[in-house]
Amino acid sequence: MYALNYVKAKSLKEAAAILAKNPEAKLLAGGMTLIPTMKQRLARPTHVVDIAGLSELRGIVSKGGKLVIGAGTKHHDVATSAVVRKAIPALAGLAAEIGDPQVRNRGTIGGSLANNDPAADYPAAVLGLGASVVTSKRSIAAEDYFQGLFATALDAGEVIVRVEFPLPKRAAYSKFHHPASGYAMAGVFIAQTAGGVRVAVTGAGPGVFRWTAAEAALAKSFKPAALEGLALDASGLNSDIHADRDYRANLVRVMAKRALAKLSGRK
Amino acid sequence: MSAKAHNHGPVGRVEDKRLVTGGGTFAADYNVPGQLHGYFLRSDRAHAEIVAVNTERAMKHAGVKAVITGADAVRAGYVKPMHTLTFPGKGGMQTRAPERPVLAHGGVHFVGEAVALVVAESAEAAQDAAELVEIRYRDLPAVVAPEGALAPGAPQLHGNVPGNLALEAEVGDAAAVEAAFARAAHVTRLKVEVTRVAPNPMEPRAYIASYDARADSYTLHVCCQGITTLRRHLSAYTGVPEEKLHFEVGDVGGGFGQRTPAYPEHGALMLAAKQTGRPVRWVSTRSEGIACDTHGRANVIDGALALDREGRFVAMRLDWVNDMGAYLSPASMGHIRNTTTCMTGVYRIPALYATYRVALTNTNPVSSYRGAGRPDIAYTVERLVSQAATELKMDAAELRRRNLIPPEAFPYKTPTGSTYENADLPGLLEKALKLADWKGYAKRRAQTEKAGKLRGIGIATVIENTGAGQAAKDEVELELDAAGNITVYTMSKSQGHGHETTFATIVADALGVPFERVRLKQCTPERQHRLQGNHTGGSRSTVGAGSVCHLAAQKLIEHGRAAAALELAVEPSQVEYADGVYRTKESKRTLKLGDLARSKPVSVIAEGKFGSTFPNGCHIAEVEIDPGTGAAEIASYAAVDDIGTVINHAVVEGQLHGGVAMGAGQVLGEKVVYDPGSGQLLTGSFMDYYMPRAGLVPAIRGAEHATPSSVSPLGVKGVGESGCTGSLPAVANAVMDALAPLGVGHLDMPLTPSKVWHAMQDARKGRH
Repeated sequence: MYALNYVKAKSLKEAAAILAKNPEAKLLAGGMTLIPTMKQRLARPTHVVDIAGLSELRGIVSKGGKLVIGAGTKHHDVATSAVVRKAIPALAGLAAEIGDPQVRNRGTIGGSLANNDPAADYPAAVLGLGASVVTSKRSIAAEDYFQGLFATALDAGEVIVRVEFPLPKRAAYSKFHHPASGYAMAGVFIAQTAGGVRVAVTGAGPGVFRWTAAEAALAKSFKPAALEGLALDASGLNSDIHADRDYRANLVRVMAKRALAKLSGRK
Repeated sequence: MSAKAHNHGPVGRVEDKRLVTGGGTFAADYNVPGQLHGYFLRSDRAHAEIVAVNTERAMKHAGVKAVITGADAVRAGYVKPMHTLTFPGKGGMQTRAPERPVLAHGGVHFVGEAVALVVAESAEAAQDAAELVEIRYRDLPAVVAPEGALAPGAPQLHGNVPGNLALEAEVGDAAAVEAAFARAAHVTRLKVEVTRVAPNPMEPRAYIASYDARADSYTLHVCCQGITTLRRHLSAYTGVPEEKLHFEVGDVGGGFGQRTPAYPEHGALMLAAKQTGRPVRWVSTRSEGIACDTHGRANVIDGALALDREGRFVAMRLDWVNDMGAYLSPASMGHIRNTTTCMTGVYRIPALYATYRVALTNTNPVSSYRGAGRPDIAYTVERLVSQAATELKMDAAELRRRNLIPPEAFPYKTPTGSTYENADLPGLLEKALKLADWKGYAKRRAQTEKAGKLRGIGIATVIENTGAGQAAKDEVELELDAAGNITVYTMSKSQGHGHETTFATIVADALGVPFERVRLKQCTPERQHRLQGNHTGGSRSTVGAGSVCHLAAQKLIEHGRAAAALELAVEPSQVEYADGVYRTKESKRTLKLGDLARSKPVSVIAEGKFGSTFPNGCHIAEVEIDPGTGAAEIASYAAVDDIGTVINHAVVEGQLHGGVAMGAGQVLGEKVVYDPGSGQLLTGSFMDYYMPRAGLVPAIRGAEHATPSSVSPLGVKGVGESGCTGSLPAVANAVMDALAPLGVGHLDMPLTPSKVWHAMQDARKGRH
């Protein structure tokens, strides 16, 4: 790790001010990605602005057909929240499967979304549910927010404050863990929403994406059988020493079916 | 002859409370006054000439005290590590060993090879300054696959190792094998790879080297498996006499063979300590550990097994390519020789012939890793046997039953010249079949299939050599104080094994005193130049040092008998000893053991040298495979092991369970991967390197089937490596059994979900 300045922000305003003044400053929430990256000397922020304790970023509320989760909320808190479990049980289940207990007790939803790791779980839920990422400046629709590998619509100095999830009729997430890292090798979030069926895929490609062919098929028949033989173009999927793109394409199909099976009452 | 019942030991392990509650003192817990910090700058490429090294800018960085380079290593003569491939090769060929300066000089041969050591007032300053060291490389083509390295036209690593062939060797009778194959009713052929893995002990390496100018000697704080082998290696590497090398070693968080040898980093830190006049401390990162701590296994074996009409084995031929990485590790011998000792496994195979070609590649050096060749040969033979059963449509247990060495054939001389002491292999097999409910398998398989999955069962019946070591003898010192407490000094060193429990139990048993009276001190500085002994490795410590603990206790009793006779005013023959008390036969007067030490502590040193013991076992695994994802899960695991007399059952179970998980992890996921073109390490962190997790193996059903060894007075056999020797073939056979009905012939480990899924698709399309 290179030498840096550590600042514990007392408010979101203060954090934003430091970011504005220091273009190479980085926000620190759970630090589950930033700290390992700094230890490997792959990141060299001049300042680390710790926003982990800010009460403005905390809280889980369900009201007006929306589940609102503060950006600083830890995965463990989402996983165990009675409010989340009631409003969107699939989201609580997803949070419970992120990383390991250490990660879940430090990592935050805002941190995960700001990082936008192509194998992270939360992006699948945010895109699959058509959520909005509310920042210090504006509200960004999920479709606009995710811009590929570690890229988001966030401007310099813009801080995620909360995420607003519209409540779906029902939703499910199914994930195949990467054998080494435990991240999603393929994770599929399926939701029946007011606007129709949404299928979001993480882990398999360079960034979270919607599997539109599956959405169309499921709009006609919301059953696993609807996905049989459904085309999934593998050409854009990841291929590496762990799995080639054909295998990942298969996983997407299998995880989608298993997510649907969860909804039809079978495990 | 076996010792009496072990009734003075604890049920569990006494060291665990300290170790699992953060009470241990590991190598990185040491700090010494005045210490500096070292950072190793490592090669970022697999093969290159070093054209120039410029340390000027780094030296100017604040806090930097020295930058040691390959030129310093060459000047000091720290260039020639010892190697142990000393057995004769084919046609009298001698091993060709490349030089390896403790810091690379002239060229680099694998990613991660240390090129410079930056020494500074803080670890951060050293790392910062390392970025200022300028190294000009001229890249050379790299080769990372051992068979590729031996092929004509391959990039050449070292001038004195033509064809990258360090040694070619053979064993057995080629003509007899050829004749037997010609007559055979059936021949099973299988080429298998035992993958290269990173041992990854929980504790990363950490050293402090200090130099005493007045005595011209060095003290090294280390994590190691015992100081004697390390000292011998390091002395040979640096030319510093053994009596001028002192060590401090506390708790050690895992070794698995990887903590045995002297490493270049030891020597480089010694150079830095001498040059700066201050102790120099270095703590490895996990990534450095994966890249630079010796790897394990890395063997490719082309095998063939010939059978007669009744399914009896008549001959076996194995052709090995052993990948040793870029240099020969000092602890490389066992890794190859152990595959010879038990080459025919638990079977009567009258004719055998094997060849070895030891290859050098642009990869991290390979050395001993839990089992050191024993799991490799067990895997090869047991895969061949199960494959033969599949081909002949025979029950895999029945084929084994027909070929096991019968109890009456022991001591059994193998075709490679080793002599198995004893075993009850048929009894072992039947006990395991019962424990695993082999007969009830069809029912379990039907249940699994009903749930939409595949099920397979795999069996492995294995034997391995343990116990013998390279030290001239094992010595143990007992020191008795006036309170009757006994301190036991050994040169063996636990890395988590439980020596504090096992050895103290042995002494307490022999003396008949409470366990709490006995405490163990391992590799303590004041005994390092007084006692000889083997390091802990090769499953030898209870056979060796443990047995000498027993002998030392008996010696103490005898030593005290004369003094007690004098005190009790009788002839020594009239003095009896039991439970910590001497008493006369007639008068019933008594003298406590501790009374012998009233004026000064009493010390005795006992010694012993023991041959090999042959633990054996039958492991049976069942797996379930999810056809949608290809993921294999271990559904059940049963293991029956003959490890001779057991001192402490909890210790033994721990060793077996850990070994089973280690082997299962290698079969189902572990592999070090280098990019075949660039030689870059692609599995450099746990993001990409699969480490088995606790959930991999379900509760293991275990049973003992002891045939006590007479190699040592305790009746014990080694156990440290038995778990993975059994699990490697058992788990792989189970997966292959599940896939066989689909027409999948053979897959090499690791049997990852994607590999298994692809094999299933290919088989469905008739491509396998």
